[in-house]
Amino acid sequence: MRAALDRIYDGAGWLAAVFMVGTLVFVSLGVLGRLLHFHVRGTDAYAGYCMAASGFLALAYTLRRNEHIRVTLLLNHVPPRLRHALDLWCHGVAVALAGILAFYSARLVWHSHAFNDISTGNDATPLWIPQLGMALGTALLFVAVIDALVRLARAGPQRDAGAAPARVE
Amino acid sequence: MSDFAITALLVAALFLLLGTGVWIGLALVGVAFVGMELFTTRPVGDAMAVTVWGSASSWTLTALPLFIWMGEILFRTRLSEDMFRGLAPWMERLPGRLLHTNIIGCAIFAAVSGSSAATCATIGKMTLPELAARGYPEGKVVGTLAGAGTLGLLIPPSIIMIVYGVTAEVSIARLFIAGVVPGLLLGALFMSYVIVWALLNPGRIPRPETRTTLAQKLSASRNLIPVVLLILAVLGSIYTGIATATEAAAFGVVGSLAVSAAQRSLTWDTFRDSLLGATRLYCMIALILAGASFLTLAMGYIGLPRHLAEWIGSLGLGQFWLLMALMVFFIVLGCFLDGISMVVLTMGVLLPTVQKAGIDLIWFGIFVVLVVEMAQITPPVGFNLFVLQGMTKRQITWIARQTLPMFYLMTAAVLLIYLVPELVTWLPRQMMSK
Repeated sequence: MRAALDRIYDGAGWLAAVFMVGTLVFVSLGVLGRLLHFHVRGTDAYAGYCMAASGFLALAYTLRRNEHIRVTLLLNHVPPRLRHALDLWCHGVAVALAGILAFYSARLVWHSHAFNDISTGNDATPLWIPQLGMALGTALLFVAVIDALVRLARAGPQRDAGAAPARVE
Repeated sequence: MSDFAITALLVAALFLLLGTGVWIGLALVGVAFVGMELFTTRPVGDAMAVTVWGSASSWTLTALPLFIWMGEILFRTRLSEDMFRGLAPWMERLPGRLLHTNIIGCAIFAAVSGSSAATCATIGKMTLPELAARGYPEGKVVGTLAGAGTLGLLIPPSIIMIVYGVTAEVSIARLFIAGVVPGLLLGALFMSYVIVWALLNPGRIPRPETRTTLAQKLSASRNLIPVVLLILAVLGSIYTGIATATEAAAFGVVGSLAVSAAQRSLTWDTFRDSLLGATRLYCMIALILAGASFLTLAMGYIGLPRHLAEWIGSLGLGQFWLLMALMVFFIVLGCFLDGISMVVLTMGVLLPTVQKAGIDLIWFGIFVVLVVEMAQITPPVGFNLFVLQGMTKRQITWIARQTLPMFYLMTAAVLLIYLVPELVTWLPRQMMSK
């Protein structure tokens, strides 16, 4: 179970990486098209969809790698038992919020499909297709935070909290 | 419920979630959800999904993941060694000598990277051990590095400028170009400080090493040529209007892959690491942006930004005191939030106030970046300080004390761009006239 979940997060991470390359490819296609006078329809929109898919699909994978940013000032300065309780609260809140995100993302896909929502750009994509990435990514995040909550609860208070990685900006 | 009570309630909820350690992006979603649920009659969840989708898939934002990826590629090249070897011979004659490699190295790397922590880490990787081995005073080495690392935000490309540009709906290309002169100005201020300090404290700086001839200097610097070309291509294409910020970013990714390949640093491992690293870093920022877009929507429905603008307008502060108040506010906020979260969290609420005070939004963007940089080097939360703490194993308070002179210089830079706004607005105006 543990290994299977981790493989799913990693797999989604790799898929996100592929969409990152996709963003580069569509932006480049747009530039090349302009320079060499050929036209590929909707490259701007496709680049945006790839970026969105990349961001959402990596959510669970990034959480598992402990790279989502949070304020650890308080967490790092309280005794282990209190820290554990505080961390449980954080994970609980995260489960609720990730659940809301996942539910309404799935509903957005369903609505777009039911009302046949088409992109207003010149790509004319039925929007439910790119939105699938958002629904799948947020659903995985929901699973991942539940998974993290369960792991945390089982592990009990630890002496040493994982420090947040400092690589933003 | 009165405006004041609503505001107080939402701010309290936000601080509770952030302070207890809930992931920042999710905390923003939470506050927005509660606020909208309580104070409007809109269907909250559906509005959230539409807004988050719209912001996450917007074309203007695509510059962000690409510039992040570019930085991650160059971080994994031999660039930091090349930078030190190429710059050191030129600095031997200047008072302060190799301390300047920190500042110029950071300024150059800042022009290919959008992140100040990455700039700090890349340059420090080489200069910290090399300068320590030569007997340079550690305090000055660390202080100049932490200060100059912040140039990563000001000299384009800059992650935080993209975030600001998307939030404030101003041109990212113009913001980038507007950051060039203030960035060089700040670099010059740092270098002047080192020169003055070295002249006042002779003997603290080690003697120069063997004299090198011009030919030797040029030969040592030749490895920097590809990077300089890459900088000129990326910034030049934005400045001349050949490419948008996003297109320049795509060019930058391809160019840095080429630089990496030319150095023979490009292997499957480094490619994979850079790609996955960029994916995670982008995802982290994307979650914050998603939460912030929803929070901005919620605030708009509640009418908070408009009321705040009216209230501050009624105080009759005047531009100067408004900006000073904002500077203090950001530095205090920076005591526990990172720069990107600070910008996305406050801009949705503050922009109407700023516009109402008649402040140019491009100029304000540069002001915000400068102030966020100052917050980056003030404890307890300052990412450059964290990076240096990891690299030097020193106490964060000691590092912060060494960085204090740079903090004052940045305050001076803020005053300078206030007194002479053309420092910011002149260059983008040249670009617009094309």
